[in-house]
Amino acid sequence: MQAATQTSIAVPRAQSAAKPEHLVAPAVPGPPVVQTEAAALVAANESRPAIPAAVRLTRWLRNNALSVFLWCMSLGLLFAAWYLGTRYRIDLFIRFTNIPAPAEVFAKVTEVAGSAKYMTNIGISVRRIFTGFGIAILIALPLGLLIGRYRSARDLLMPAIEVLRPIPAIAWVPMSIMLWPTTEVSIVFITFLGSFFPILLNTVHGVTAMDPVLLRAGRCLGANEARMFWNVILPGVLPHIFTGLAVGMGVAWVSLIAAEMISGQFGVGYFTWEAYSLVNYAEIALGMITIGMLGLLCSGAIRVVGHFVMPWASYGGGKNR
Amino acid sequence: MSVQMDEVKRAQGLIEVRDLGVIFGEYESAVEAVANVSMAVQPGEFVSLIGPSGCGKSTLLNIAAGFVQPTSGNVLIDGKPVQGPSADRGVVFQQYSLFPWLTVRKNVEFGLRMQNMPAGPRESAARTLLGLAGLLAFENHYPDQLSGGMKQRVGIVRALATSPQVLLMDEPFGALDAQTCVVMQEILTNMWQQFRISVLFITHDIEEAIFLSDKVYVMTARPGRIKAEIPVPLARPRTADMTASAEFTGMVQQLKALIRAESLASMGAELKEGGLKGFGMSVGPKGLADVV
Repeated sequence: MQAATQTSIAVPRAQSAAKPEHLVAPAVPGPPVVQTEAAALVAANESRPAIPAAVRLTRWLRNNALSVFLWCMSLGLLFAAWYLGTRYRIDLFIRFTNIPAPAEVFAKVTEVAGSAKYMTNIGISVRRIFTGFGIAILIALPLGLLIGRYRSARDLLMPAIEVLRPIPAIAWVPMSIMLWPTTEVSIVFITFLGSFFPILLNTVHGVTAMDPVLLRAGRCLGANEARMFWNVILPGVLPHIFTGLAVGMGVAWVSLIAAEMISGQFGVGYFTWEAYSLVNYAEIALGMITIGMLGLLCSGAIRVVGHFVMPWASYGGGKNR
Repeated sequence: MSVQMDEVKRAQGLIEVRDLGVIFGEYESAVEAVANVSMAVQPGEFVSLIGPSGCGKSTLLNIAAGFVQPTSGNVLIDGKPVQGPSADRGVVFQQYSLFPWLTVRKNVEFGLRMQNMPAGPRESAARTLLGLAGLLAFENHYPDQLSGGMKQRVGIVRALATSPQVLLMDEPFGALDAQTCVVMQEILTNMWQQFRISVLFITHDIEEAIFLSDKVYVMTARPGRIKAEIPVPLARPRTADMTASAEFTGMVQQLKALIRAESLASMGAELKEGGLKGFGMSVGPKGLADVV
């Protein structure tokens, strides 16, 4: 590491004072200002030999043994309760009499998993999520940045938003069916509504909560208004935006499933409701598990994208992590 | 940056503050923060502005930076009145102001990127400056991986990257511990020795002001006025051992007396009569909290 060699403070002051260059590397021997402890620190860190993955895994397991045990207990107890409840047909106010046992549901999974009907339903739900969520991002992000940045935009838009916001997306179902030409569009609209407000409000909050010193720094480094938006405000608000996306994705699924159950043809929500109508108990459970898994995958994907887009956030910086 | 352009800039960097007055608020809640302040920083001069807290010294810097509009008077840079923030005035803030989403080098490049400088020259300019500050080994680190002292050094380097005519520094070492602070002062004086840029430095630390400056302005308590203009005749370049010299300690004493009088004045009229004794008596058994 070259920095490790720069350990002496050699400041050729008399020479450098006479030099005419401004912000050009001075042609003087040795670095003029050198700070030693930190450079040595980096050198030490980077010369440390890499640890094999197997060793790291065993170390990690040793340090987190209790946590791993508790995680397994958590899931194990859940399944045990399900299994015992159905095994003994418990009927104490809470009734397990008609609840399918884990084994029945597992059998249903293997039966249905590859079937065209099941896969089509999943595909349609995912498509609705992506469309509704995608449109919500496209509208809520720019709107949120404008509302956060400009008072006039806030005064113009926020009253309308605050009036509409308390209405749950599900309450829009009847109105949505009247508003839009097809059921499909109205379901996408419900999904859009569910994710729109969390994304919008988190973005607005992100802009208003932004450290003013960063805005000042951007300004006095010569950023014009457009550059401020693109190079300072947007990256500065990203952690808030991703919080909004994670919340919005959750609400989008809630809204979608409700809409599919009420007005749908196709979709996992419709699949689950149809199973109930047809008294197919195992499929109800399968539908629920499918919805849970899809929701988990979607929020996992947002987290992965977040890590990729904000590599700095893992250093404990962003205020809202 | 061509060499010719740099030579033109060398003769520039005159900061003139003319009859500056600032009143915050309106009607009955109006507070006069700064009154009738006139001062100047000659091209290539390092000038400190020192005064008790709340005397409006940061307000003055914010006006020079273009963040705040004065109520009366104005600040001129090379004869042109300040209209708003601009890259011809570098600013180093008291709070850490690095963009957490950019690496150290990208932070330094930011100002050049705003000037649409291509990536290649931008990168080499940033690396040169980071090398001068002993930070090259950290160019790919994110600000949150750095210590407070390193962050402020990157902040100084970033402010210098666009070759501003003047550098405005608002208590840049105020948040650092005493040891780091002393090291940072040495690093700053060394860097200034290289660039010879006009600096307006806000501080409440007397030793810091004397060690770094060619000239120190002392401000009065609110509303802030210039109470004294004190040239610092210490030789350049400055080194840490100078702080032990009789000349240095003499200046510190002189300034301390001035500031002390101001601080007492700012704490209320009754102190003028009783001095600190009176203050001690008025505190009573309930403690400071009741008085303040």
